[in-house]
Amino acid sequence: MTWSTWLDYTVNGLVIGNIYALLAVGLALIFGVANLINFAHGSIYTVGAYVGWVCITQLHWPLAATVPAVLLASAVLGVGIERLALRPLHNASRIAPLLATIGISLVLDQITQLVFTPNPRALPSPLPDWRFQIGGGSVGTLDLLILAVGLGTAGALYSFLRFTKMGWAVRATAQDSDAAKQMGVDVNRVNMAVFAIASALGGLSGMLVGMYYNNIDPGMSFDATLKGVVAQIIGGMGNVPGAIAGSLLLGLIESYGIALFGTSYRNLFAFVLLIAILIWRPNGLFASARDLPPEPMTGSFLARGKPVRIPPRALIAIGALAALLPFAGSDYVLQTATNALLYGLLALSLTLVAGTVGMVSLGHAGLLAIGAYASALLAIELAIPVVVAIVLAGIVTAVIGTLLVFPAFRMRGHYVSIATLAIGQIVALVILNWNGLTRGPIGISGIPPLSIGNLPLYDAPQAYWFVLVVVVALALLQARILSSHLGRTWRALRDDDIAARSHGVALDRYKAMAFAFGGFGAGIGGAVTAHLYSYINHETFNAQISVLALTIAILGGLGNISGALLGSALLIGLPELFRGLAEYRMLIYGVALLLLIRLRPQGLLGTA
Amino acid sequence: MRDPVGHPAVTVPTRRTLLLGAGLAALTHGTARAADPVLLGVSGPLTGPAAQYGAQWKKGFDLALDEVNGGGGIKGRPLALQFEDSQNDPRQSVAIAQKFVGNPAIIAELGDFSSPASMAASPIYQRGKLVQFGFTNSHPDFTKGGDYMWSNSLSQSEQSPQLVTYAIKDLGLRRPAILHLNTDWGRTSKDLAVQTAKALGAEVVATEGYLPEERDFRSTLVRVRDAKPDGLILISYYADGALIARQTRVAGITQPIVAMGSVYSPKFIELGAEAVEGVYTQSNFFPDEPRAEVQDFVRRFRARYNEEPDAFNAYAYDTILLLAAVLRQFGTTRQDVHDGLARIKDVPSVIFGRVAFDTATRRVAGANTANMQVKGGKFVAWDGKPAIPRT
Repeated sequence: MTWSTWLDYTVNGLVIGNIYALLAVGLALIFGVANLINFAHGSIYTVGAYVGWVCITQLHWPLAATVPAVLLASAVLGVGIERLALRPLHNASRIAPLLATIGISLVLDQITQLVFTPNPRALPSPLPDWRFQIGGGSVGTLDLLILAVGLGTAGALYSFLRFTKMGWAVRATAQDSDAAKQMGVDVNRVNMAVFAIASALGGLSGMLVGMYYNNIDPGMSFDATLKGVVAQIIGGMGNVPGAIAGSLLLGLIESYGIALFGTSYRNLFAFVLLIAILIWRPNGLFASARDLPPEPMTGSFLARGKPVRIPPRALIAIGALAALLPFAGSDYVLQTATNALLYGLLALSLTLVAGTVGMVSLGHAGLLAIGAYASALLAIELAIPVVVAIVLAGIVTAVIGTLLVFPAFRMRGHYVSIATLAIGQIVALVILNWNGLTRGPIGISGIPPLSIGNLPLYDAPQAYWFVLVVVVALALLQARILSSHLGRTWRALRDDDIAARSHGVALDRYKAMAFAFGGFGAGIGGAVTAHLYSYINHETFNAQISVLALTIAILGGLGNISGALLGSALLIGLPELFRGLAEYRMLIYGVALLLLIRLRPQGLLGTA
Repeated sequence: MRDPVGHPAVTVPTRRTLLLGAGLAALTHGTARAADPVLLGVSGPLTGPAAQYGAQWKKGFDLALDEVNGGGGIKGRPLALQFEDSQNDPRQSVAIAQKFVGNPAIIAELGDFSSPASMAASPIYQRGKLVQFGFTNSHPDFTKGGDYMWSNSLSQSEQSPQLVTYAIKDLGLRRPAILHLNTDWGRTSKDLAVQTAKALGAEVVATEGYLPEERDFRSTLVRVRDAKPDGLILISYYADGALIARQTRVAGITQPIVAMGSVYSPKFIELGAEAVEGVYTQSNFFPDEPRAEVQDFVRRFRARYNEEPDAFNAYAYDTILLLAAVLRQFGTTRQDVHDGLARIKDVPSVIFGRVAFDTATRRVAGANTANMQVKGGKFVAWDGKPAIPRT
C-alpha cells in the first residue's frame, strides 16, 4: 500500500474517532463522578437526534436555534433521569443504578419509537457542504464542526473541572462523595449538574451524527452506547481528555483493521486490541499505573443486606408445582416456561461469576453461543447422540470460556465487564468469520431435536421437564458448592482479594473454577437452545442477550440462586403477559423493570 | 387448550361488527360460524431493532385486508390477522409458534422476519401441522424445514444473477466491486453474484461484507477504490445502501453504483438524497407499470398512506391476496391451506405477475424484474444507456 493510501485510512480513522469522541466524553464525565456506566447515554443521544429532526425538518429552525433547543431538551432529560430514577437509589446499592440505566434506556427507546415510528428518517445538515480534499478523500464542514464540538467541550470541561468552584465540587464528589458532603458540597446538585452537562452533550452528538449520516432511527442507541463505552475505556474510565484520545485511537484501530484484514474483521480487530490494552494497561492508556481508581465492584459495590430466606419446604413446594405445570398449562405457557428456565441457566451462571466471585460479565451470551455451536456441530458432523453432545458442549464451553476470560482475571471492577463484553463480541465475530467451521452467516440448520436415545423430547411438556431437571440439578449443585469451602473462598475473593491472596488463596485458580462451573451451565443452556431451535447463526445469541442476563441476575439479587430463577421467570414472562399491549408492551415492561428496581434495589431476593 | 394471556389483536372486523354478527347468529342459528373471522397469525417485529420492517408489513397487510374484505371476504367470512410482536427474536418467535399452533382458530402463520427467528419456530409449526408462510425468508434452507414451510420470498438464485447481468451486460461493468450485508441473505447473494460475474466474463475485483449496524464505510471504500473497480454492486437494504452511496462520493469514488432491488424504497432516496442520483437498481414493480394489479396496488396505497409503496409493503400485500385466493378456492382448514398452496395457479401478484408454487421446493419462481435508475430524485425505468460506454 502506498503512503497516500495510509493517509486516507488515517484520516478516515480520525473522522470516525471524532464521532465516537462526542459519545465517550459524556460517558466519561458520568463515570468519573457517579462511577456508573450510563447505559441510557445512547438513548439520550437518540432523543437529541430526534429533537434536532423536529426543529430542522418540521419547524424549519436555523441551526443557531436548533442547537440550544437540543442542548436544553437533553439536559432536562438528563436531570429528570438523575432526579427520578437514580437519586432514589443512591444509598441502596451500587449496582442498582446500572440496572436502572438499562431500564431507562429501554423506556426511552420505546417512547422514541412510538412517537416517531421505527422508520429511519433523514436529518439533512443545514450547513453548506464545503469539502476539503485530503489525500484521495475529503472532509467536509460537518466533520470540522464535530471536531470543534469535541475539542471545545473537552477543553471547556477540563477548565470547568480545574478552575471553577463547581468543578472542584464535582471532582471532590468523584473522589469521595461522603467526604465531599462533610465538607459542605451539595452532592445532589453536583450529580444533577453532571447529568445535565453530559446529557446535553449526548443529545448534541446524536444530532450531529444524525446529520453526518443523514440518517436517524430509534434503534441507533445500543450501538452508540457500545462504541462510546469502548472508546472511553481505552482512554481510561472517567478520564475526559483520555476519552477523546481513546476515541480517536479506536477510530484509527478500526480503520487500520479494515485496511489490513477487510471490513468483516473491523470489530474483531478492535475488540482484540481492546483486550490487549486492558491487559497491558488495566486502567486505560492514559491513566498512570500508580493511580489506581477505587474499586467499585468489589466490597462496597455489592449491597449489604440479608438475602430473603426461602424455607426449604417452600422451595420443594415450588419445585413440585413447577413439575406439575404441564398438566395445567398450554404448550404456549410451557414454551415460555422452558425459555425462562433456559435463561435461568444463564442467570445461574452469571450470578455465580458476578455475584459470588464479583466479576460482572457483560459477554455471557458468548458462552451460550459456544455451547450451542459445539453441541450442534458435534451432533451433526460427528453424529453424536444429542444428550451426549449437550454434556460435551457444556465441557467445551467451560474450557473455552475459562481460557477466553483468563486474561481478565487480573482486572478489577468495570474493566472486567468491558473485557467480557469484548470477549462476547469476539466470540460472535469469530463465528461470523470462521466459515469453514460455523458456516458463517448462513448458520447451521437442521440441528437434530432434543432426544434421549430413541425417545424424542421435542413436545412442549417433555422439553420442559428435561430443562427443568437440568436447571434443578445445576441449581442444587451450585447451592451445595456455595455453602462449602469453595463458596466461602469465592466470596472472600469478591469481598477483598488482597486479603484472600495474603491468606494463600490462588486468585487465578479459584476464578477459573468459578468460570468453568458457570461456563458448563451456560454451555448446556446454549446447547439445549440449539436443539430446540433447529437453526442458529451468529445473530441468535447477540449482545442484547448478555444485557438481559445481567438484568436478570441483578434483579434477582446478585449471587442469589433462587433470585436468578425468579428474575428470569419475571423478565421472560412479563413481555409475554403484556402481549395484548402490542407496540406498547416493551414500554410497559421497561416501566415495570424500573419499578421493581425502585422497590427492591438490592435485588428481589437480596444479594447472597 | 387454555390460553391464559391471549388478547388476540384482531384488527378486522371491529368489535361492533363482531357483536352484530353474534347477535344475528343468535337469531338465525346455523349461520353463526359464517361471521367468525378467518384468522391468520403473524409473527414479526413490532418493537426492537427490526421494528421498521414490521411496520412496513402492517401497511401492506391492512391494505390487502381491506381489499379482501371489501370483496366479500372468504365466502362471507371476514379475513383477519393476529399480529404478535416477536422483536425478531427466536426466543419469542418459538413461544408465539406454540401459541398459534394451540389456537385452533388460526389456520396459517406468516413470518417471521429474519432467518434465526423464523427457522427456530419451524419445527413447532411443522409438528403442529400449521403452515408457516415465510414471505421474506430467502434462506435456502427455510423451506427444507418441512412440508409445512412455504415461501413466496424472492429467490436469491434468481435475483442475484439478474442484477449482475444488468450490471455487466446492460450497463457495461467489467470490473465490479461487491459490497454486501454480512447476513445469510447478503452472503448467499454475494456468492451467486460472484459466480454469475465470472460466467459473464467479468472480474470481481473486491468483495467486502459489512454488519447490518455499521454506519461508517469510509475505510471500506478506500479498500474498494484501491482495487480499481469500474463500478460498485451493492447487496444492501435501503438504509445501509443510502449510507454507502453518500460516503462513496466523499471517498472520491465516482464510478456507477448498481444496487440490489431491496433498496427500492422512497426511504432510499430520502436518506441518500443527491448521493443516490444515478444509482441503478432493479425492482419487481414500479408505479408506471401498466399491469392492472400494480396499478391497483400503487393507487390504493397512495390513497391510503399518502406515500409511495416499497418492496416490503408489496411482499406483505401480495401474500395476503395469495392466501385469500387459496382460502377461497380450497377451504379454510389448516390442511386446506397446506394442500391448496400446492395446487393454486395463476393468482395475480404485484411481484410475480402470476403465482404458482414449485411443489418440490415450496417456492415461487419467476418474479418480474424491471431495470430501474434514480433520476431527478425518483425511481424511473432505465433509459437503456450503458453506464460505461463500450469500447
